[in-house]
Amino acid sequence: MKQYQLGEFEEIVMLTIAILNNEAYSVSIKDEIEARLSRTVSMGALHTALKRLEDKSYLKSYAGEATTERAGRPKQYFELTALGKKALRHAKETRDELWQAIPKTVFPITLAH
Amino acid sequence: MNNTSTPSPPRLLLRFFRWYCNPGIQYYIEGDLFEMYDRRLKQSGKRKADLLFIRDVLLLFRPGIIKPIQPNLHPVNNAIMIKSYAKIGWRNLARNKAYSFINIAGLALSMTCGILIFTFIRHHLSYDNFHPDTNRIYRIVTELHRDQIAYRSCVPAPLGQVFRNDYTFADKVARIYTEQGVLISLKEQTETVKFKETNGVAFAEPEFFEIFNFPFVQGSPQTALTKPYTAVLTESMAQKYFGNNDAIGKTFWVENKIELTITGILKDLPQNTDTKTGIFISYGSLLTYDPWLAHETNGWGGIRDGMQCYIRLQPNTSTAEVENVLPGYVTKYRRNSKNIHHYKLQSLADKHFDARYGGAISKQKLWILAVIGSFLLATACVNFINLATAQALKRAKEVGVRKVLGSIRTQLFWQFICETAIICAIGIAVAIGLATALLPYTNTLFNLNLSLNLFADPLLIGFVFALWTTVTLLAGYYPAWVLARFQPVTALKGKATQQTIGGFNTRRTLIVSQFAISQVLIIGMIVIISQIHYARNSDLGFDKEAIVMIATGNATANSKEAFKNEIARTPGVERVSICMEAPASENDWGNTILFDNRSEEVNFRTSMKCADADYVPTFGLELIAGKNITPSDSAREILVNETMIRKLELNNPDDAIGKYIIADGGAINAPIVGVIKDFHDKSLHEDIAPILITSYPEEYSNYAIKLNLANATSTIPAIEKRWTQQNPDQLFEYRFLDDSIAKFYHEEDTMLKLIEVFSFISIFIGCLGLYGLVSFVVNQKTKEIGIRKVLGCSIGNILWIFWREFAQLVIIAFAIAAPLGWWLMNTWLQNFKFQIQISPWVFAIAIISSLAVALLTVSYQVVKAAVADPVKSLRVE
Repeated sequence: MKQYQLGEFEEIVMLTIAILNNEAYSVSIKDEIEARLSRTVSMGALHTALKRLEDKSYLKSYAGEATTERAGRPKQYFELTALGKKALRHAKETRDELWQAIPKTVFPITLAH
Repeated sequence: MNNTSTPSPPRLLLRFFRWYCNPGIQYYIEGDLFEMYDRRLKQSGKRKADLLFIRDVLLLFRPGIIKPIQPNLHPVNNAIMIKSYAKIGWRNLARNKAYSFINIAGLALSMTCGILIFTFIRHHLSYDNFHPDTNRIYRIVTELHRDQIAYRSCVPAPLGQVFRNDYTFADKVARIYTEQGVLISLKEQTETVKFKETNGVAFAEPEFFEIFNFPFVQGSPQTALTKPYTAVLTESMAQKYFGNNDAIGKTFWVENKIELTITGILKDLPQNTDTKTGIFISYGSLLTYDPWLAHETNGWGGIRDGMQCYIRLQPNTSTAEVENVLPGYVTKYRRNSKNIHHYKLQSLADKHFDARYGGAISKQKLWILAVIGSFLLATACVNFINLATAQALKRAKEVGVRKVLGSIRTQLFWQFICETAIICAIGIAVAIGLATALLPYTNTLFNLNLSLNLFADPLLIGFVFALWTTVTLLAGYYPAWVLARFQPVTALKGKATQQTIGGFNTRRTLIVSQFAISQVLIIGMIVIISQIHYARNSDLGFDKEAIVMIATGNATANSKEAFKNEIARTPGVERVSICMEAPASENDWGNTILFDNRSEEVNFRTSMKCADADYVPTFGLELIAGKNITPSDSAREILVNETMIRKLELNNPDDAIGKYIIADGGAINAPIVGVIKDFHDKSLHEDIAPILITSYPEEYSNYAIKLNLANATSTIPAIEKRWTQQNPDQLFEYRFLDDSIAKFYHEEDTMLKLIEVFSFISIFIGCLGLYGLVSFVVNQKTKEIGIRKVLGCSIGNILWIFWREFAQLVIIAFAIAAPLGWWLMNTWLQNFKFQIQISPWVFAIAIISSLAVALLTVSYQVVKAAVADPVKSLRVE
């Protein structure tokens, strides 16, 4: 359905934010994705994605504490909005439906769930 | 946080980030950047952290993070604003006529130079670039290794043929022999029409036209030059000889030796090729024209200027492969020669620029020209900045009002840039006009035929446009920035002063740099003038005044001798000698000799001057040992010069007397009878060569006639009459020796004219700048002058105050210019083997003249202010 537009990278970012739960700001998100998915994430890509998601109201942000290593700049924490959660769930459901619809012969080995 | 203890990320990149980042999220992202930087710093050191920081910042530069284009707070109709800027700009120009004139004149002059230099450089860079597969075309050239290495663009004549037969490296090989200054005659039923072709004729193999893109109008490259005694002319040549008649099938004679039938017509060769001749003759004809040169083995004996060999290599063949096989020919054909040939490949792209092989102009010279052009442009920009900031105060109120009415700084900035653009545009228009008008003069100066066609030439349009934008930005940036920065309150209260504008020191620096540039040019000019003067007037070791050289024509040795006697009897002739060339000449005959029955050749090049016994007295050569040669019809006695004695490692000139010399491959075997004092046998660029003089009638080609100048006007026609009777099929030509020698320095003459123009322009522009600055300072100090006058100061005193200030600037400029000029000119003088010392006078003249010009400029303004009635100046409020 059209109303929940979510790109692949955006989905990963949102899931990571969900995992981090209240500890999600850009550097920790980047670290988490890099650790879990073993792919590198550029600062630019991440910030653009975060901004886009916030514009779509899937995320909301608030300013956090400033630390020395950040040269006194505050952190911007992100959390999922209700709409964001709905979008994520929608994405998962559509995926599952699609998986179900695949004839058994295509993937003979049962996939672990 | 203490910045000094913690390393910080690259500042420039950080500033760049802050500049582009959306302010709403800038703080957070900056925090992230710092955090990452800090972490990487600890993990892997500053270098790595810096690099990754740079990468991050660059990767962040993407939509979504870049700040959106500023929301327009004051919606402005840009088109109307630009119209308004143009109008205001125009009014300003019209109001300050003197100021506008100075600016436009300065810019236009320098841009004229810019355009002309651009046209010139582009012309030279385009030489021979229109042939197919230019990058595979090479010329085989020769390095001659003896005690010194000499470089020649020619090769032994048979080389091309054997190379073509022996190897497959080249898909085309073409030999071409160019002979300059030949006589062309058309023998019609009743009379013979004679032409002297200074660009000469070229004996070319048909492949020449397959390698080079010189298209045929009639005939074809495959068939036109295959048979002996056939020729191809360019269209304009055909027009010159045969008018509008069809030239194909017509015949003409070259040097009365061979008759040629025209089998093809070429399109005129373009300007930008080094092939200048308009007459191409089949290579086979050379066998009759010059049997020695065309001979299959004799040709290996030496190299003749003009005998060139071009090859087009197969694709993917390296020059090294070819150069590796070429030494084989030296061992095969020149086993015993001490004059060791090394054949090299020179790419066509280098041909025009490599002076060693006769390239017309080195790339370095083109660069110097480009640098001078940019210098002139820089001075003009500096000038503009100078004047504009000096005038800035006048416009403070305007800026104030505009700011109060809501202009933002960027708008004001662009307004002033817009005004600069108008001035530049006018400057460019004037420059294009001037350049077009001056082009004929530059063409004569450089012996070119360039044209300037702005609208048909995209590259030129591009250049002019680039020039316009660059100059606008360079010249306009600083003044616009200064103006746009005014605080509206101070500006409107009229309290904006020079202190608040600042930049007085900037302007002083600019003036200093302008004067430094012009002084360097003046120093250059004086040194070049003195060196040329020295070269022209220094004692060359022989008499060059009132000597006229006349070609002998094709007469036999006996009739030459008879004609010589006839000339000697002509009234007004003091002495006559028959010789090959004058003592100093661009042509010489290089010879390898055997000395004193030694079995090995000497390892240096000697220069042979063939001449009769009258040579020494006619040219006033001085004998320092032995005696002059006696008249003879063969090479029976030899004179040598002092350099030869040194090169032969003899202690005393007398030691050489009586020793035998074998030269010209054994044809000459004669004793030395005398030693003459050294004379310059070439230009002062070159060392004096070891010289042999012997009587050798086969090589005589000129009569050297010493005239009594008082009745020269009747003598030459009298000789001409007799000469034409004796040589009905030849053209009579004469040249004065001192003119020919002056031509040695043709290049320096050109350079001198150029530098004269450049220094004049740079001084002129410098003065304009100074004038602007002074008028501004004088305006500022009107009251001071008034008060000083009231207190009893004389005009002289007031002048002195200003002079002191500006003389300081000129002297500082001199401190920069003197060492720089000295170094540059010293480097230039290294081109000459015989050079002047740079005297302190050069520097004295440079500083005195620039001081004089500067002080005159200053005085004009200051005196005007100083004679004004103090009542008036003090009343101004």
